[in-house]
Amino acid sequence: MPRPGLSLGLVFLIVLLAAASLHLGVRFTPTGEVWRALTEGGDDQTALIVATLRLPRTLIAIVVGGALGLSGLLLQTSTRNALAEPGLLGINAGAGFAVVLLVVVLGEQSLSMMAVAACIGALACAALVFSLAISVGGMSSPSHLLLAGVTIAALLTSGIQIVIVADERTMEELLFWLSGGFADRDMRLLAIAAPASILIALASWRLAPMLDALLTDDSTAQALGVPVLRVRFFMLVLAAILAGVSIAVAGPVAFIGLAAPHLARFSGAQSHVRLVPLSILFGSVLALGADIAARFVIYPSEAPVGILLAIIGVPTLLYLLQRKRVGVDA
Amino acid sequence: MTAASIGFETTAGYQRLGKIALLVLVLAVFSVAGIVLGSSDLPVQRVLLAIFGQGERTDTIIVWSLRMPRLLMAMLAGAALALAGLALQRATRNALAAPSVLGIADGAALGVMIFLFAFSNESNALTVSILWQPLAAACGAMVFALAVMILAVKTGATPLRIILYGVALGALAKAGVTLLMIDGPVHRASQAAMWLAGSVFQARWSDVSTLAIVLAILVPLTLLMARRMDQLQLDEQSAAATGLPVRTTQFMLFGLATCLTAAAVSFAGALGFVGLVAPHAARLMIGGRALWQAVAAALLGATMVVGADLVVRLAFSPLEVPAGAVTAIVGAPYFLFILLRAGRVNA
Repeated sequence: MPRPGLSLGLVFLIVLLAAASLHLGVRFTPTGEVWRALTEGGDDQTALIVATLRLPRTLIAIVVGGALGLSGLLLQTSTRNALAEPGLLGINAGAGFAVVLLVVVLGEQSLSMMAVAACIGALACAALVFSLAISVGGMSSPSHLLLAGVTIAALLTSGIQIVIVADERTMEELLFWLSGGFADRDMRLLAIAAPASILIALASWRLAPMLDALLTDDSTAQALGVPVLRVRFFMLVLAAILAGVSIAVAGPVAFIGLAAPHLARFSGAQSHVRLVPLSILFGSVLALGADIAARFVIYPSEAPVGILLAIIGVPTLLYLLQRKRVGVDA
Repeated sequence: MTAASIGFETTAGYQRLGKIALLVLVLAVFSVAGIVLGSSDLPVQRVLLAIFGQGERTDTIIVWSLRMPRLLMAMLAGAALALAGLALQRATRNALAAPSVLGIADGAALGVMIFLFAFSNESNALTVSILWQPLAAACGAMVFALAVMILAVKTGATPLRIILYGVALGALAKAGVTLLMIDGPVHRASQAAMWLAGSVFQARWSDVSTLAIVLAILVPLTLLMARRMDQLQLDEQSAAATGLPVRTTQFMLFGLATCLTAAAVSFAGALGFVGLVAPHAARLMIGGRALWQAVAAALLGATMVVGADLVVRLAFSPLEVPAGAVTAIVGAPYFLFILLRAGRVNA
C-alpha cells in the first residue's frame, strides 16, 4: 500500500536534521543567532561559522547522501544484486585514482576538471568490475561481483598510496579529499552536482516502470517491452555518474549506497516509483545523521564520517550476507 | 614420519627438492641484493668485511643496523604471512582465504592501535614494554577470526560467503583503526599510517629477535600440522573416516594462522596479499602436499616481501613508499586471476 506519509516524514526529518546540523558543533549556536547569520550575514565569528562552515556541509550532506542512495539503488536494480554499492564495487576507488592521477600528472586542476576526472574514473572502474564479474559468474552472483570490486579497490588504493607518497606536493590536499566527508568541502561543486543529481533522479523516476520490469528476469522484461540491455547499461552509466559527482564533491563515502535502498525496501516500498525517492531521502538522512554524529563521537575533535557510516553499513552487509538468498527482490 | 611418506625415494621427490633449492637460491639472490643495493651501493667485499666487523665504520652501521634488520624483518614477516595464508586456505578449503581477506590482519592492526592508544603517556612514550604489542595484535586478530568463524559456522556459509564476512568485518576494523589514528597521539598517528600499510624500513634488531622467537614456536607447530592439513583436503566425511577430528583441526589451524598473522602484522603491518599469493603459487609450483607446500610458501612469501622492499628502495628512494603497496599491486591481479578460474570451474 502506498504510504505518502513516509516520504513526507522523511522530508520533515531531513529539515529537522539540517536545522540541528546548523545549530550543533563544538559550540552550540542558539536559534536566534543561526537565523541572523543566515538572513543577515555578518562578520562575527558565530555568523561565519554558521554561514561558511555549517551551511555548506549541511547542503553537501543532503545532496551527496541522496545521490549515493540513488546510485546504490540503480546499481542494485540493474545488476539484480543486493550488495551492489559504489564503495564496495571499487567505483569510489576508481574515481579517486583518476583524480589523483590527474592532479599528479597535470598539476593543480580546476574543480570542474576534477569532477570530470572523477566521473570518468568511476565509469571506467565500473566497466572493469562489471566485465570481470560477468566473465566470472554473471553480475547477479553477489559474491563474485563483490570480490572483484573489493580487489580492484585494493589495487587502486595501493596505486593511490604510491602516487601520493611519490608526489609530496599534492599529498596534503589530496589526502584530505580522499578521506571522504562533508566538512570543509568546496560548495561551488554543488552547482554541478546538484543539477546533475536532480536530472538523473527525474530520469530514473520516469523510467521506474522499466526498472520494476528489470527485477523479473531478462526474458520477462523483454516480453514486457523493455529494451533490457539498453536500460541496464543506461542505469549503470547513470549510477556511475552519480557516484562520480558525489566523490568529486565529498571524496569517497562508502555504505550510504548500500544501506539507503535497503532501508527503502524495509519500509515496504516495492515499485521504483516509490523506491527512487525513498532511497534518495534515506540517503540524505543517513548522510546528515552521520555528519552530525561525527562531530560528537570524539568531541571536541571530529571523526571522519566514513567511520560512522561503516558502523551502520557493516551490520547491514552482514545481515544481507547471512540471508539464504541474496536477491534484490527480498 | 618415514622417508616414503615424504616422497624422498621418487623422482618427483627429487624434483621437489630441486624446486625448493631453486626457491632458496632466488631468496638468497634477493637477500644479497637487499644488502648490497640501496641509497648508497656497497660492493660485496665491503659488505662481507662489514659483516665480519672488519669494514669501515659507516659500512658497518649501514649493513648491521640498517639493512640487516630490515632484510630479516621482511623475510620473517613474509614467511609468517604465507604460512598463515596456507593454514587458512586449508582450514576453510578455499583458495581465496588469506589473513588480509578474512579481516584478521585488520583485527590485528586494531589490536595494536588500541594497545598504543591505551598505553601511551602524554609525551607519546609507551608506559609498558613494547614486547606486549604482539600480544595485543594477537588479541585483536583472535577476536576478528572468531567472529568470522562464528558467522561462518552459524550460517553454514559457502566458502565465497565466508570471504565476504571477512571483508565486511575487515571494513569495521579499518574504521576503528582510522578513528584511533585521528583521536590518538599525533606523533603515533603518522607512524601508524606508514606501519599499517606494511613496511619494514623501521625494523630494529629488538623487533627482529622478538619476531624470530615467536616464529620459532609457531612455525614448527604449523609444520607438525602438515599431515592433518593433507587429511583435511578430503571431504569432511572421508576426513573424519581417516580418524581426523575435523572441527578441532580447523579450529587449530585458524588459531595458528591468527597467531602467525598477529606476529607479522604487529611488526611489519599488513603486507597486502602475501598470505594469499604465496601459498597458492607454492601449490602451483610444488603440488598439494602440505609439508612441501608450506616450505615453498614460506620461501615465496619471504621472497615477495624482500623483493617488494627492494623495489620500494630502488624505485622510489628517498621516499618511503610502503612495501605493502607493492605486494598489493602484484597480489590483487593474482587474486582476480584465481577468482576468474574459480568462477569458471564452478560454472
